[in-house]
Amino acid sequence: MSETLVVAGTYLISYALVVAYAVYLHVRRRRAAQR
Amino acid sequence: MTRVRVLMSLAAVAVGIGLWFALTAPPDALQGEYARLLGIHPPSMWVAFLAFGVTALGSIMWLIKKTDRWDRLASSSVEVGVIFTAIGLFTGMVWGQAVWGTPWDWQDPRLMSTLVMFFVYLGYIALRNAIDDPTVRARRSAILGAIAVVQVPLVYFSVNLFRTLHQTQSIRPDGSTMPDEMLLAMAVNMVAFTILYIALVVARIEVAKVEAENAREEAVAGEAVRPPRLSEVEDV
Repeated sequence: MSETLVVAGTYLISYALVVAYAVYLHVRRRRAAQR
Repeated sequence: MTRVRVLMSLAAVAVGIGLWFALTAPPDALQGEYARLLGIHPPSMWVAFLAFGVTALGSIMWLIKKTDRWDRLASSSVEVGVIFTAIGLFTGMVWGQAVWGTPWDWQDPRLMSTLVMFFVYLGYIALRNAIDDPTVRARRSAILGAIAVVQVPLVYFSVNLFRTLHQTQSIRPDGSTMPDEMLLAMAVNMVAFTILYIALVVARIEVAKVEAENAREEAVAGEAVRPPRLSEVEDV
């Protein structure tokens, strides 16, 4: 069970990092376009 | 912007399919569930290598053509490459703890060469942020981007050149050492991560285009409309 949790957590953290970067790019582009 | 949305949606679907393949493959006889990290660790490092290769291409093309688009491609690709290197290092450490009993070995050539590559490309980003003049920034980062790529084959072949905890390549000219289900899960995720890489680089290029346009307008309008830089603000 703990193996599954570690693997699931690793996937989750990795995907979260990519999603955070995509959101950051979206916000940065919108702010730049408003200037 | 629509192009970015289409690519992001495509990437989300592809990564979803990749995740399904990774989670439904049977667990490994020795490594158990940890073998499922094949669906994220090698694809992340593949994207990092691809990204730094594209950066080298963009850098060399900028040095030849001196056009903004090549500089934008090179710098955008580095950012995405650094993120995927970080994911590769993190997932590798989790896997290392499970299989080797340690997340890190400071004397391991594969681990250390990957870490050095990560810091060199962080340095590339820092270099760009330290230079205001767009032409000087493009030239200096192009030189670094073209040279730094030598680390990619060094990292990849470090497992063959030195004694290391890390295993050698699973896919060789004479075949694969992995079961077909795991090989398929890794291959699907590599394709999915490549689509994700393209989507992120295109999105980053869009940001760079708008910011470059803003910078040009500020230059035309003069200093009066430029926001103050932190270094110019006096304490009050």
